[in-house]
Amino acid sequence: MWIKYIFIVLLFYLFSILQNSFFVHFSLFGAIPNLVFVFFFLLAFFEPKNNHYQIVFYAISAGLFLDFFSYTYFGVSIILLLLIGSAMKKIQAILHEKRDDRFPLLYFLPLFTISLIFYDLLLNVFLNKFNLAQIVSGFSISEIIYNLLFASVAFYVYKKFLGLRFDDRQLALFR
Amino acid sequence: MKGDKRFSINKKSGALLKFLIGAFALLFFIAALNFFSSGLKNIFYTLNLPIQKTFWSAGETSAGFLTSFVISGSLNKDNQNLKNQIQQLQAQITSLQSVINGNQAQSNVSLACQNNGFKLLMAGVIGLDAEDMISINKGSADGILEGMPVINQQGALFGKIFKVYKNFSKVMLISNKNSVISVKVQQSETASAQGSGVTKEIDGVLKGSGQLGVYLDLVSIDDIINQGDILVTSALEGTFPKDLLVGTITKVQKNDQNPHQQAEVQPFLGQQIDNLFVILNYKK
Repeated sequence: MWIKYIFIVLLFYLFSILQNSFFVHFSLFGAIPNLVFVFFFLLAFFEPKNNHYQIVFYAISAGLFLDFFSYTYFGVSIILLLLIGSAMKKIQAILHEKRDDRFPLLYFLPLFTISLIFYDLLLNVFLNKFNLAQIVSGFSISEIIYNLLFASVAFYVYKKFLGLRFDDRQLALFR
Repeated sequence: MKGDKRFSINKKSGALLKFLIGAFALLFFIAALNFFSSGLKNIFYTLNLPIQKTFWSAGETSAGFLTSFVISGSLNKDNQNLKNQIQQLQAQITSLQSVINGNQAQSNVSLACQNNGFKLLMAGVIGLDAEDMISINKGSADGILEGMPVINQQGALFGKIFKVYKNFSKVMLISNKNSVISVKVQQSETASAQGSGVTKEIDGVLKGSGQLGVYLDLVSIDDIINQGDILVTSALEGTFPKDLLVGTITKVQKNDQNPHQQAEVQPFLGQQIDNLFVILNYKK
């Protein structure tokens, strides 16, 4: 079981390195994909809703690597990811109760977009010293589209290769 | 019934206690990380250097390969345009040759004063993050201090040292949203020819807009700036030496309600940025 956690941490590490070195050369209108965020969101999205410890683990591992490469304080990304992870599980629970939707990508993409915007905005608050104009201007459509592209591909890859490990009750939502 | 209620309260208290202990542990962990921030980041970058450098080179090669496919259709057109530009430049060189000869001695003295006085340190780029910050493989152990200007081999300004670790530094690019530098507009030849012939020095401020973008601001509405004009540093603020190349104006934006005009600028932040140079001895 513990090997899964080591593997996840290694993947976060690999993605953080990739997004800061390899994908720099593949920027779309200056936007670089945030692979660590995509992977964190994917793990949190597919996590059974009562398993809060896992979300905390994902948030700390992903946030730590994001903070290592950021010039702001340690802990900013960790806390933001914790907030996003918790909020997402709540929203997912509400969505699941209201309708039995068999097309989770419809949940995944809007939730991902909102979470990314939330993350970018709040990270910009710390990066741009609470300058409102700069915080709002930090918003980039190209960044959202670019990350959505990666997230969509990752969603299908994750579902295809790792989806089977979920029990049937959980699969009802994610199938 | 009473027992169930008590059990529920105990369970809630237990959960709250767990949450508080967890939150406290997390805050302690974050505080410890921030306390040892410089050392930790330095170790992290040191360990990552070989891997990051490998990925950086791989990305550069792959991007170059991909770009060659993407732009192959427009290569002929670009070639023709470049040939035309070369011809125009050759004509300009011929006409300027006499002026150059006349000013050679004076230029040499100026260049000697300006360039030879600078002590440059070459640094390899190992990463670029989404916040327009570059990581370089030289740090305080190599004599780098915060605020030092960073240029490329063509002498174009890239930014300044923002944060220094023992073996690494973070460079804030001029496109970072917190970057504001004072610049001068050097008018292009056509613009000067249309005017009175006297080149007026126009001051402005270059601001970063993120994602490798910059724009010119605070240029008086009465000043005439044009597409193609070159921006250089003005040294007014004292952070950067004067006359370092910064970028080219691509689009002028005037608004009668605004006392200042703005312009979109294409910075000289090329994709080939394997090595940069830190100016070690520029003083305010």
